[in-house]
Amino acid sequence: MPPVEILIEGLTQSCILMTMAFGMVLVYSILGILNWTHGWLYMLGAYVVFFATTAAGIPFPIGILLAGLAMAVIGILIKKFIIDHAGNELYVGVATLALIGVLEGAATLLFTGDDRGLATILPGVLRLGVVAVSYQKMAVIGFTLVVMAAMYFVLNHTKVGLAIRAVAQQPVAASLYGISTARLSLIVMGIGCALAGMAGAITAPIYSINPFIGMSPQIMALLAIVLGGLGSLTGAIVGGLIIGFMNSVMAYYISYVSEVVLFALIILILLVRPQGLFGASAK
Amino acid sequence: MKHYFKKISLLDYKNIVPKSVIGLFIILILLIPVFTQSVVIVSTLTLTGIWAVAAMGFTLVMRTGQWSLGQSAFMALGGYTSAILTVQMGLPFWPSFFISGLVSGLIALLIGMVVLRVGGVYFAIITLAMGEIVRIIALEWEPVTRGSRGIITSAPPPIVLWGHELVNFDTSLAPYFYFMICLVAVTAVVFWRIGESRLGRTFYGTALNPIMAEHQGIYLMKYRVIAFTVAGIFTGYAGALYTHFLQVITPFVFGFWQSIQITIWSIIGGIGSLIGGPILGTALLYNVGVYLGRTDIPGLQAFLFGSIVVIVIMFLPQGAGLVDLWKLFWTKIVWREKEYKTDEPED
Repeated sequence: MPPVEILIEGLTQSCILMTMAFGMVLVYSILGILNWTHGWLYMLGAYVVFFATTAAGIPFPIGILLAGLAMAVIGILIKKFIIDHAGNELYVGVATLALIGVLEGAATLLFTGDDRGLATILPGVLRLGVVAVSYQKMAVIGFTLVVMAAMYFVLNHTKVGLAIRAVAQQPVAASLYGISTARLSLIVMGIGCALAGMAGAITAPIYSINPFIGMSPQIMALLAIVLGGLGSLTGAIVGGLIIGFMNSVMAYYISYVSEVVLFALIILILLVRPQGLFGASAK
Repeated sequence: MKHYFKKISLLDYKNIVPKSVIGLFIILILLIPVFTQSVVIVSTLTLTGIWAVAAMGFTLVMRTGQWSLGQSAFMALGGYTSAILTVQMGLPFWPSFFISGLVSGLIALLIGMVVLRVGGVYFAIITLAMGEIVRIIALEWEPVTRGSRGIITSAPPPIVLWGHELVNFDTSLAPYFYFMICLVAVTAVVFWRIGESRLGRTFYGTALNPIMAEHQGIYLMKYRVIAFTVAGIFTGYAGALYTHFLQVITPFVFGFWQSIQITIWSIIGGIGSLIGGPILGTALLYNVGVYLGRTDIPGLQAFLFGSIVVIVIMFLPQGAGLVDLWKLFWTKIVWREKEYKTDEPED
């Protein structure tokens, strides 16, 4: 049994991955494309909250919302001006891959490649007997719970949520009932990118910020999606939980080999269940 | 009257002239080391050719409808195999070069047999993760790969025939250039034959309509694995040549960004053609990237390269690559033909 601190670290990582994977699956189920830039929006979200709190003096919670809003705007711009103008699915994929370079390069140009830290936000630890939990990690876990509850409410109890579920199941039938697929995909792209930005913002106090931090959560979230099954929101959450926990627990025992073992495990799961844990049968 | 002219023209000049222009261009490129000894030009061309082989491998995998985001991992596998065999184990150059592609192909076969059962986005994600795994192993397996210091390899030995030293890799870059030409030519011939054969048409069928292909009795996974393995072999050779050309391999040479670039070169070059598209895309975009990389400002290269790619994609006609513009150039601008219509009834 690993120490409780490792488990809490695992829970924190799971929360980030859950938020990221949830946004990606949401975008995939409506737009039918994987947004490869998600991890880099995470990075930009961290920068937004960094400059909002240090340079502008905005309180941290409002900074998170600001990061979400900014990333939603960027996501909608990407959808409107690039994805809609690319010829076919192949070109959409290439365009989002090329946008990784654009975002990373722009961040390096604007903010330089140096590490920045935001450790002054929410300092201190909460002592529960022998276990110490930093407020920053508690904030991440609490924030994720709030976001998941909000997403559950939006998807199940609002008209937009109903429209999203309808389009995900039957795009043609949904548009016959007067749902504008084009407008809805803009909304979903906004929500997905906002989730990535807010995930970056809430974790900004824990990890250091530089233009290259997007890669790791992107790959981990993608693995979570593969594990959970593509197109399944439950799968994204469960996959994020499993990957986050396994990664940190295994990193405690076998350090850098953990990612290799994780990869092997996912291949094993794919052998047994090719469509992932919660995926519909593969095409 | 017009019809008669068309019939009596013995030479199909509309087919021959563009092809001879391409042929002339290839001959000119082949003669470049004769005209110039400039290190910059010859080495840039050599690297372009090496990356073009990797892009061709990607296009072959793309032919079956699968999107591989880990092609640079196979370059790393080939490069490291060759480097480890020559430096750490002391094998001669040629056998280890030969083995390097086979090792990379074997790993492609093993991974493909597991992951290609599902294909699609799963495949893209797993190959992406595989690229990272290869990089981590290369970085952390200190005793064999020497970690982040990388392995310093030596040049291939001079080729001696009947007592004469025919080719010496140490004196100039021209041997490397012709080595690259040989690699590109072999890859091109193999891929061209695959594309023309029943196998290539099956690849195309599995991509075009997987369900129908399966109902025709085509075992999808088999053909996907074949394409992935063949691509892995040649990409491995490209990586081995890259390693011996630069005479060093580190874990940072072949990463995620390189895989993305291979994807971009190949798709913008045009995946309708197995050979012309990737070579054209690499020749144009790789050199754009190298040119942009001459600035010292960090991040500017990635930013400008990404922007150029996005702009090119937005202005390319739907589903066409740069190689299709070449045909369009001849029909529209040179011959000034009317739009070709298929469903026009003839009198």
